[in-house]
Amino acid sequence: MKKLLIIAAVTALASQFTAASTEAADSEKVFKFYCAQCHGLTGKGDGPNVTKDFPVSPRNFTNAKEMDKLSDADLKNVIMDGGPSVSKSPMMPPWGKTLTEAEVDGLIKHLRGICKCKGKQG
Amino acid sequence: MMKPFLTAALSAAFLVGTASSVLADPAAGKAAFEAKGCTACHYTDGPAKEKTIDDQLAKKGPELWYAGSKFQKDWLGKWLADPKPIRPMKFNDLMVENPGDHPKLAGADAASVTDFLMSLTSADVPAGKVKPKKNPKGRQIFIKKMPCSGCQQYTGRKKKISGGRSGPSLVEAGLRLNPDWILAYLQKPKVFKPVKMMPVFTGLLSDKDMMNVARYVANFKPKKKK
Repeated sequence: MKKLLIIAAVTALASQFTAASTEAADSEKVFKFYCAQCHGLTGKGDGPNVTKDFPVSPRNFTNAKEMDKLSDADLKNVIMDGGPSVSKSPMMPPWGKTLTEAEVDGLIKHLRGICKCKGKQG
Repeated sequence: MMKPFLTAALSAAFLVGTASSVLADPAAGKAAFEAKGCTACHYTDGPAKEKTIDDQLAKKGPELWYAGSKFQKDWLGKWLADPKPIRPMKFNDLMVENPGDHPKLAGADAASVTDFLMSLTSADVPAGKVKPKKNPKGRQIFIKKMPCSGCQQYTGRKKKISGGRSGPSLVEAGLRLNPDWILAYLQKPKVFKPVKMMPVFTGLLSDKDMMNVARYVANFKPKKKK
């Protein structure tokens, strides 16, 4: 019985781990498809749209100091409703009609992985 | 004296127009499209097949099942015979520049493939709605209110090409795109491109504003020489 329980627990843990890594891979895919156009594939703010004429500098997600000033809720707002919703540039589109809420939540986790920061709490 | 001459000229023009539409041969064009290997990168049977990002990224070129509603015939015929890059970047790629290596079709094939592609229309593009026109409201939305210019090139002041590079260029889009398609694409994005890098604007822009943008973009044409 004990053995069976251990096997069950290990299987459950493993499947959770797989689910989490699939989720992370999906979020990376979403990031690369939609966000990298301006923020770059590695999130440094250097996507192909950013020429010398680009009117603003897209956020560099590797800058932990700047990213730490924003809470997850701030990130969600700007992704869903666009730059102007947080007094930033309209060059940041409102993605609320394009992405699902789960995709946006996944993106936020992905961004926290890039900046290696937790962001403003509370 | 002038009137009979004009009548004759108009009749001749009408005959030429009629003749060319009679000569249009979509079936020959379809055969040429397949023989030239176009199907390796483009699909022509709608409705849209893409359901996921992977589906979209698996494509090597744009879907063409509504090409007859999207493009202008004159432009398409010339482009197939002498293709010039429309996208600054390679299709579905953010790192590689467009190599400009789209195959060319010789005269007769270009004409028949044009006829074939122009026969592929969508009932979701009602005709005669959008009249290209200088449109300050559309310009305001395109350049300032919404991020359209962030991903798409256009000709700005003093003929300077401005705008981003991840989307297809809209420089002279008024020669390439059917004005009615521009509006339909904004209003029903999921019909044409269910998964795409461009944000969905339905629910964010009113129908009136979409019309303003469509009229503005449809008016992207070379300025007439004075």
